[in-house]
Amino acid sequence: MRHIPLDRRIGYLPLNNRPRIQWPGNARVAFWVIPNVEHYEYVPAAGTGRQQVAHGNPDFPAPNIPVNVRRDYGSRVGFWRMLRVLDRHNIRCTVNINLAVLDHFPEERDAMVERNWDFCCHGVYNTRAEPKGLTVEQQRAFVQDSIACVKRTTGKQLKGFNVLSRATEELPDILAEHGIIYHADYFHDDQPTPINVTQGKLVSIPYGAEINDSVMTQRNRPWEADTFFEMAKDAFDRLYQEGAENGMVLCLPLHPWCSGYPYRINHLDRILDYVMSHDGVWQATADDIAEYYIANYYDEAVACIARIETSQRQLLAGRQR
Amino acid sequence: MPIQFNYGMDQEYWDWSPIVKRPVLHWPNGAKLAVCLLVDLGHYEWKPPAGAFDPPTHTPPHSMNPYPDYVTVTHREYGHRIGIFRMMEVFDRYRVRATVPMDAYTADNYPILVEECRRRGWEIIGHGVTQRQAITSLMSEAQEREYVEASIAALRRATGAAPAGWLGPEHSQSTRTPAILAEMGIRYCCDFPNDEQPYRIHTLNGELYALPCMIEIGDTMGHYNRKLPLQRWVQMVKETFDVMHADAAETGLLLAFRLHPWCVGQPYRIKYLEDIVGHMTRREDVWIATGSEIIDWYRTQPHASFRPERPAVQGEPL
Repeated sequence: MRHIPLDRRIGYLPLNNRPRIQWPGNARVAFWVIPNVEHYEYVPAAGTGRQQVAHGNPDFPAPNIPVNVRRDYGSRVGFWRMLRVLDRHNIRCTVNINLAVLDHFPEERDAMVERNWDFCCHGVYNTRAEPKGLTVEQQRAFVQDSIACVKRTTGKQLKGFNVLSRATEELPDILAEHGIIYHADYFHDDQPTPINVTQGKLVSIPYGAEINDSVMTQRNRPWEADTFFEMAKDAFDRLYQEGAENGMVLCLPLHPWCSGYPYRINHLDRILDYVMSHDGVWQATADDIAEYYIANYYDEAVACIARIETSQRQLLAGRQR
Repeated sequence: MPIQFNYGMDQEYWDWSPIVKRPVLHWPNGAKLAVCLLVDLGHYEWKPPAGAFDPPTHTPPHSMNPYPDYVTVTHREYGHRIGIFRMMEVFDRYRVRATVPMDAYTADNYPILVEECRRRGWEIIGHGVTQRQAITSLMSEAQEREYVEASIAALRRATGAAPAGWLGPEHSQSTRTPAILAEMGIRYCCDFPNDEQPYRIHTLNGELYALPCMIEIGDTMGHYNRKLPLQRWVQMVKETFDVMHADAAETGLLLAFRLHPWCVGQPYRIKYLEDIVGHMTRREDVWIATGSEIIDWYRTQPHASFRPERPAVQGEPL
């Protein structure tokens, strides 16, 4: 399969020379909240396992109780505690879903469907590596099967993927082929940007690498949820300030097995309190943001990327003379 | 192949059960929150025998230094000599009893510690052979049975009775472990860090419950290994207690977590243990109990035999 080379996937768009985004309602910041609702297998299927390393507990031969079974806390307890806080702030989430959860844990699925959350594909289990390792044809089937699974279990149309280290070289082209409109595996920007694909339109919606509650569970991050609150608040303040000129995106990735703990939940409440107390916040799902961007800014951004490429080429040519 | 799975867990030891769908859990005397303090007395040997599974957390670069590791081995021994006595003084002052995971090596070689625990009414539970010999799926079933038997036998020799509870070194298990524990008479297991209430473990023989332990807030995982500042860790534990106490107005909850004498028993940390224990004993509707007391109560409650029903089918295969 012909696919766009990785270094051509995202065109360069410097902050000071790009289309000015105006969010609905003249909002300064599009704020999307993405709980990762996951399951880690008791014994990961042979050959498909991803190495999971959490602080204090590197890999044990399965069953890895302190790492994988600990995540089970998220579905049993943490999810429900988080839900109360999300409801209190009327947050409509985009759920990053391990597809197996939709069949295994229907109470979780139903709670998300009732709230009209949107669904983003986060692989089958967090302990499995697909689509990485699949052939192109298998990846196509995987994307089709993912769309069908979400449709069957939730009635929703799947519009996005976030598979991070499980992504392949060809994945964006395959996603666009199947009508997926956003791919949230990029950390290169604070706004949506076009992703160069062989057919159709695909955009990146900024995901959170550092503003991400799971970072707190990493061994080399010796700080806790009060600091996470400060980080999220500072990020929001800056984006809100810049958003007066050009609409920005703040992503808040959450995990029920991180923020659902009693010692973190009140700090999540404070983050949502702070962000939602501002006028000019568009609390949206990734579907909303991607659709709005494609309808209003995609073509303009593509044209701008082309202009910038030309001017960069001219600058380089001038350097050679 | 369509992406489709069955309802419930991907193993048969415990049921899928979201906390909000369970019956209300009541603790004795109207208590809202049960607290179980696990005080580890585990031994770190200089060199585990050939073939033993030394957990990856204990091998470089994660924690221990190359053999002979004077630093780590003697630092752990500090707990058995000094730290535990400082902790006992704090627990005595607040009239709180601990549950003590004790490995076979400690039981066999530190009879004074066994006596000190027993005369305080602390409960001693199984904790493997040593901390550098853990359970693993790499063992054969016969090896694993021998291992669990040896751990239990040492406690029987030391205390006159087989232990009711179990915590594997580093929460280590094979896929057989719950079945073997139940068969050997263990009634509750603290390995599972996935809930805030006890729950039933299904095995063919015996009656086994999970007494879930909040692994992330223990002194080693929450503070020492992670290098979270001491005061911040204390705040984390107190906040856990406060939030769970408030949430427990709806249904009884359980807070169990681990403390290590070599860690929290250090001179600059012990006053923070006192801070934590003082905080937890200040309220009247909190039941600080041993693992057996909690499970003996729990098993008589309707909560223990509740099995969630699969919800009405919605969005199933078209």
